[in-house]
Amino acid sequence: MNRLEQHSTLSRLYALQLEVFPEHEDFLSPRIANSSDEHLVELEHLAQVIARIGEGKLETIARDYAWLTNEMLEEEYYFRRHGTYRLSTFEEAERTVYANAEFMQKYMNGVLFSHLWWGNHSRVIIHFHREFLSRIKQGAHHLEVGPGHGLLLYLAANSPRTGSVTGWDVSATSLRDTRHALEAMGVQKPVTLEAHNIVDAPSGKFDSLTFSEVLEHLEQPRDALKTLRSLLNDGGKIFVHAPVNSPAPDHIYLFREPEEIVEMVRDAGFAIDETVNFPGMDASLERARKLKLTISTIVVGTAI
Amino acid sequence: MTREDVYAKLEPIFRELFDQYDGPITDELTANDVEQWDSLGHVQLVVALEQECGVRCAPQEVTGLPDLGALVDLFAAKTQA
Repeated sequence: MNRLEQHSTLSRLYALQLEVFPEHEDFLSPRIANSSDEHLVELEHLAQVIARIGEGKLETIARDYAWLTNEMLEEEYYFRRHGTYRLSTFEEAERTVYANAEFMQKYMNGVLFSHLWWGNHSRVIIHFHREFLSRIKQGAHHLEVGPGHGLLLYLAANSPRTGSVTGWDVSATSLRDTRHALEAMGVQKPVTLEAHNIVDAPSGKFDSLTFSEVLEHLEQPRDALKTLRSLLNDGGKIFVHAPVNSPAPDHIYLFREPEEIVEMVRDAGFAIDETVNFPGMDASLERARKLKLTISTIVVGTAI
Repeated sequence: MTREDVYAKLEPIFRELFDQYDGPITDELTANDVEQWDSLGHVQLVVALEQECGVRCAPQEVTGLPDLGALVDLFAAKTQA
């Protein structure tokens, strides 16, 4: 039995992915082969969650992931040639992505599987689960802004440390997917899901907050972080995850270095607890900086 | 540009992008031989070579090329056009 076959759900999703996207073996095979035994155990756990969320439509999700990788390649061409993202305004992203329900659904599906196949994405989820959620206050009132596919909100809702869980998103498609994910996972804790734009967010006070892969979708990310600070109690914890040099169909704000994200979080009124960088393509951080490869940056802060 | 000229431009780019590969850079080399040469790495290779050679390729021209020699042929032809 090879190392992959020891992890039944991961193995099943791997086979499904290559069935619908055989040319991706060049990428996926070394991704699995170069993973430690411990990481494969973590991926199996992630695969089980994703398989339940996507139950009944896993083949569609695998196909949408293949579609997403091609979309990403087009964006990569633009980024490499021009040194910027293709879009720069929220209005453009709204028109081409968010208001296009079919595109949005495929995008969300593709991103869901990317959390399994892209090492930087899976390591962010694992870090959130293992490190961030274990450090928040017992009984925390937790908010996620932009829960999207619902994976992180599910993990928060399933954590024994959260007392209540709330999700806000601008996208009806995202909220529907989040609701579906929570139902599929049989979450017992009551979860409040509401349609809100961070620009005109209602008042509220929370103890912990997730803001993952949202900053790069905003024209004014600095203002959004200040709004989030106002939603947290003093001493509350924020988990910010944003990508550096990461062209995608709806990314409009280009972070060129992880430090730009750290400074933005600090300026919004947070003491920085930790910064963690996960370069894409399993590159070293030095190499990722030099070649302007994607880096998934996590910044954890305390509201002061 | 001759094929040799293209190779002279390509080699330092290839070595920098795919730094875990230390074998010879030849016409017969394929993505299967170089672990870091995946679809994203291919885009980075093509665009860096475009910038060095002063030409531009359509994505369909550089997708599905059988080996490195075909990429070199393409750039040699484009720079002579």
